[in-house]
Amino acid sequence: MSGGKLIGEGYNCFETEKQAQGTVLYLPDPSAVISLIQSGKLKDHVLLAQGGTTTFLAPALSMGAIGVITLSGAPESHLGILSREFQIPCIMTAYLVSSEARYVTGGENDAHFDEVIEGLNGKNVRLNCTDGETGLIELID
Amino acid sequence: MAADYLQRYEENDDGLRFQDLVYTGNFVGMEPVPDGILGDRIMKSRATSGVLERVGIDAVREDEFSIAELNDLNNYLAWNIWDVLVMRATEGASGMIPRQEYELLALMHEFYRWPELLDMTTTEIGTQGVIDLGASSRSEIGTKINAVHDWAIGAVGFGMGRCALLALEAIKPDDYIAESSTILKFMQRVLWGKRQDGWILNSQDRYRCQIHTPKFLDSLLPAIEPLEPGSPAHDALIHFNAAAELLSFLDHFDCRLGLGDTGPYELPNGNVLIIRDLFCNEDAYHWSDVCDHENVPHCYTVILEIDPQGMGLQEIRVNDISTTFTRPKNYIPHVVGGAIFVREKWDTPIADVYPVPIAELAPRLTGIQNATFKLYTKLSRMCRRQLITNGMYVYYVGMILPHLRRAGTYEKACVDYDFWEIDQRISNYYYEIGKRDFAKVTVPNKIFSGAGYLPFSENADRRRSKYFWG
Repeated sequence: MSGGKLIGEGYNCFETEKQAQGTVLYLPDPSAVISLIQSGKLKDHVLLAQGGTTTFLAPALSMGAIGVITLSGAPESHLGILSREFQIPCIMTAYLVSSEARYVTGGENDAHFDEVIEGLNGKNVRLNCTDGETGLIELID
Repeated sequence: MAADYLQRYEENDDGLRFQDLVYTGNFVGMEPVPDGILGDRIMKSRATSGVLERVGIDAVREDEFSIAELNDLNNYLAWNIWDVLVMRATEGASGMIPRQEYELLALMHEFYRWPELLDMTTTEIGTQGVIDLGASSRSEIGTKINAVHDWAIGAVGFGMGRCALLALEAIKPDDYIAESSTILKFMQRVLWGKRQDGWILNSQDRYRCQIHTPKFLDSLLPAIEPLEPGSPAHDALIHFNAAAELLSFLDHFDCRLGLGDTGPYELPNGNVLIIRDLFCNEDAYHWSDVCDHENVPHCYTVILEIDPQGMGLQEIRVNDISTTFTRPKNYIPHVVGGAIFVREKWDTPIADVYPVPIAELAPRLTGIQNATFKLYTKLSRMCRRQLITNGMYVYYVGMILPHLRRAGTYEKACVDYDFWEIDQRISNYYYEIGKRDFAKVTVPNKIFSGAGYLPFSENADRRRSKYFWG
């Protein structure tokens, strides 16, 4: 499969040849997660969530999410562990390659988060998770 | 890539680095300490007592620790916490459960309240009884007397609890020395009884938690079904494992108490076993009613047989919070056998624990998925205060609940010691921890840098408690 334009990177939770492809959907709160489940369109989307915890995306993971991007967290986080167990490609603490801004632990990250959400939400992307450390977010035309 | 993970168990092997960060803690001015096997060795070398070496039962039976031993345990646990949790410091907000807030309140509560509960339990069942609590898990699956709960007694209740209270300036370094010893003695005795090799923590033994007796392991092996990676049966087991693990996290408010790995156990064919308890329905928590409604049992135990050659296994860690990490990271495609066992209730006799064929997992998976969605919906309707209070119970009650239940002191703790009440000091701290980023920045920085685990004074009286509030 030919590579798309690289627009983002982050921690790769586990190595896999699976390449999740779909429209990025930012989920701001639990009601958005429930609405997505009930819409029946879960598998159309690569999910974008803020934190690296499991509970927020719990029903989406259980019902068959195809790919996950987070704005914070690491493979050792619960969500990182669960994505490995479900074999759902997952890139954590994602950032835009076009920007210098990066997540700072314990820092003020709102502007950075807003920038990443704006840069990814609604885009048709593919997650390339073959590398042991870094996951790639590629834009698909 | 050739599998050379067995080299990790050779005496002079330093292991792999799983992260780039390094640890300083109380060793300012000294070479920073890395993660993993090398980090363990360095931390042991900096100890001034013998408490971090293999210890015999006579030392475990001693009533209290010396100041030097307390400081060595304090330093080692601080590194151990960093080793298993530092990368999770990047986790950020949950969006669902205010975890940093409930964790912080709970671990301070534990430091205040656990000493008399653990002391009472020791009085009731004796020192050997506490050691036997740990030993009970050597021939059981589906028991919460496991690495993460046992570790939490010392690492969370003493280590992080004391660290947070110091950061809040609610206590001074030489306060509650006797109580610190009580907590750590209980932890040491349970862990020593469980392992029975002289170590207490998995990190001291190159991240092995090989606690089961050969006879007990042999009794589980006939249930293992061979699996062809990519086959429907393989997919069924893997999906079931993941779904049950997810529910176990959710039922425990996104903390690690729902998951308990032991191993790796090497099989005669060269493969390795991970035995994973997934506690999907803890009946102590009122929100678990949705699990009852879906007939979800207390625990599903998943046995995973992994082909180390096929995955080119370089290192496997079963860390002290009962979680398995490998290099390479993805072991799932290399699971070549598996089995599922069910323990219906926490006190179901081990003889009544039964296997479920992989072909019969589908209705159980549906129950897990339904319970997950119902629990999620229930949690999404709870207000922040309810979520924090419930989360506190998961930590403060849940971490020692297995030990008190097994010891037969749980009812006494509830009736005579107000186990489920929340100390007024902690209730007041609820209003303090949100100020000046105390919960979100100050305490995490103290915990993950190691700078907050202040030592006890060398000449302090080890029976000292706290009698002055000011």
